[in-house]
Amino acid sequence: MIRIEKERIDEFIRALMETWSVYAPARDGKNTLFAPVEDPAGIDHGIFNTDKSPKEIFFPHSEVLFEFEGGEIKKVERDARPIAVWGLRGCDARSLRLLDKVFGSAWQKPDNDMFEDPYWKEKYDDSIIFGTACNEPRSTCFCNWFGAGPHDGAGMDVKVVDTGEAFILDPVSEKGKKYIGSLKGWAEATKKDVTKMKAAAKEADKAMGEVFGMDGIQEKMADLFLKPVWNDIGAKCVNCGACAFICSTCHCFDVQDEGKKGKKGKRIRIWDTCMFPIFTMEASGHNPRDMSKDRLRQRFMHKFSYFINNYDEHLCTGCGRCVIVCPVNLDIREVVREVMACEA
Amino acid sequence: MSNTYIPIQMKVERIEIEDPDKALRTFDLVFVNEEDKKNFEYMPGQFCEWSLLGLGESPFGIASSPTETDFLRFTVSRTGSVTNEIHYLREGDTIGIRGPMGNWYPVEKFKGGNVVIIGGGFAFTTLRSLIVYMLEHRKDYGDITVIYGARAPELFIYKDEISEWQKRDDIDIQLTIDNPAEGWDGRTGFVPTVTKEIAPSTENTWVVVCGPPIMIKFTLPVLSELKFADDRIYTSLERRMKCGIGKCGRCNIGSKYICIDGPVFSLAELKKIPEAF
Repeated sequence: MIRIEKERIDEFIRALMETWSVYAPARDGKNTLFAPVEDPAGIDHGIFNTDKSPKEIFFPHSEVLFEFEGGEIKKVERDARPIAVWGLRGCDARSLRLLDKVFGSAWQKPDNDMFEDPYWKEKYDDSIIFGTACNEPRSTCFCNWFGAGPHDGAGMDVKVVDTGEAFILDPVSEKGKKYIGSLKGWAEATKKDVTKMKAAAKEADKAMGEVFGMDGIQEKMADLFLKPVWNDIGAKCVNCGACAFICSTCHCFDVQDEGKKGKKGKRIRIWDTCMFPIFTMEASGHNPRDMSKDRLRQRFMHKFSYFINNYDEHLCTGCGRCVIVCPVNLDIREVVREVMACEA
Repeated sequence: MSNTYIPIQMKVERIEIEDPDKALRTFDLVFVNEEDKKNFEYMPGQFCEWSLLGLGESPFGIASSPTETDFLRFTVSRTGSVTNEIHYLREGDTIGIRGPMGNWYPVEKFKGGNVVIIGGGFAFTTLRSLIVYMLEHRKDYGDITVIYGARAPELFIYKDEISEWQKRDDIDIQLTIDNPAEGWDGRTGFVPTVTKEIAPSTENTWVVVCGPPIMIKFTLPVLSELKFADDRIYTSLERRMKCGIGKCGRCNIGSKYICIDGPVFSLAELKKIPEAF
C-alpha cells in the first residue's frame, strides 16, 4: 500500500500517462462522465459515481468494426496504448467484469476464440483499473444487495481510498501489485492511514440501505413469466430505454452500415436496447416481443434470471443510475421486491 | 485472435429462381480464398450471416450439405431491405458471409434410427441439407420419410431435386399442397393434417420439423398425439439476429440464444422456455 498526498496526485497521474491512455471522471457541462485525461489538473476527484456509465471506455456507444471501400475491408487502428482508468467506483468495476464475461470470454464455447469479442479484448485485457472506494454512498446505491460494499475492491486492480489528506493505493489484483511494486518515490501507507481507511469503510457501510435478499430470484422470475405481475410492473414504463443506455451492465448492440453499397463506408456497432420494439422486429413484420410488458420483462429477466443461468451472476451491480434517470420513477429495487413478494 | 465480425469473401456462382413470383432465389456461392474454404466446416442445420458491405447483414440457413464440397447453397426470400438487394445480385458478384454459426441437427444421434422430416414452404433449406447429408450416408439411417407442404405446386423449392428423390426407393417423399390444383395428383391438406394421416411409427424414430411458425405450432401437438416423445422431436427456430455469436443480445428465447444454443432445439428443451412459443 502506498500513500499519495493529495497535492502530489497530478504527479502520479502524469507518470501513469507516460505509458497508459488514462480515463478519469470529468465534467461535460452539467453531466459527469469518464473522459480521456489530457491534463491531470483537469480531473475532478470529487465526482461521485458519474452520470454516464464508464462502460463506454471499453464498449463505446458507437464503435467502428471495420471500414470498407468497394469490396475491400480495412481494420481501424486504435490508440495502441493500454487503458488505465482512474476513479472507477466499485459497482462499475464489477460491471466491467460482468461485461468481460460476455465479450471477453468464450464462456459458452470454451477454447473457441470465434466467440471472443476482439474489440473488447484489445481494450480491456491490457487495462489497469484504479477504483475509488465510496466514502459517502448515495440513497440510490445498492451494491450491498449483490454481496459487495462501498469499499469492496472486486474488479479493481488497485483500490484507492481517500483519507482526506491523501489517497491510499491498495493493490488488489496481481496486475495491481506488480504496478504498485514497480513504483518508486512514494511512501508506504502509515498505521494511521490504515486506521482511517478502516473507519471510512465502516462509516460507508453504515450509510448503505438494508440488504434485500434475492436468493432464488432466477427461478422465481421464470415461474412468473406468464403472470400478470409484469403488466402491473410495466404499466407505467414508456419504453424510453434510458435505463438501458445509462446502465453499466446493459450491453445489447445493433450493427449498422454507414455509407453506400460499393463505395466507402464503415460497419459500426451501436448500443441498442430490448426496450425498443424494433429490437426484435423481424422483416416479415412479426415481433416476438410485441407488447411493452414483454420488453420490460425481458430486461429484468436478463438481469436477474437469464444471466444467472448463463454466467452465475446477476447482471446488475447496484449502481443506481437507472433509478435516477427513469422518467416514470420505475425503481429497479421495487421491481425486485415486487417480484420476490409475488406468489407464482 | 480471430475476428468473427469480419466476413469472408464468396462469389455468386449460380442463381436459380424458385417460384413464379421470383420472390425466392437460390444462390450457390463459392469461396474466393482457398484458405477460407479449408477452414469452413459445417453440419446440416447451421446458418451464416450474409454480409453486404454498405447494406448490412441477414442470417440464412445453409441449404447445401457438407458432403457437397464445392459450393454453399442458400435460398433467400425477398422480404426486407437486405434480402431485396440480395435479389439484385448477379452471377459473378462477390459478397461476404460470416459463419458457419449455431448448432445442427443431431445426425450422429439419429444414426441407426428412422427419420421423419416435416417441412413447409421455403423453410425447406436446412432440411434439404439434412436430406442430402443422410442420403450420402444412407446406410447409417433407417427409413427416411419426408412430408413437405406448400401452398401451391409451384411454391415447392428444389423441385427438380425432389423429383429425383421421388424416383428413389430408399426415401419416401410425401408432398402436399393446401388446396387442390389442376394437374396435381399428390396429397392436399395442411402439413399437420397430412402428418396425422400418414401417422409415421414412433418406433426408433426421430422427427425434424421446420417451417413457418404457424405450421410448427400445429404440427407439434399432432406429433405428441402420435406419441412421439418430446426429446425425439427437433425443430429449428428463427429470431432477428445481429452478431451471431451470443453477444448482441437480441435473439434470445429465455436464457438461450438462437445463434449459439440453437437454432436447433428439441421440443423437450423448448418446453422449458415459455418465451419459445
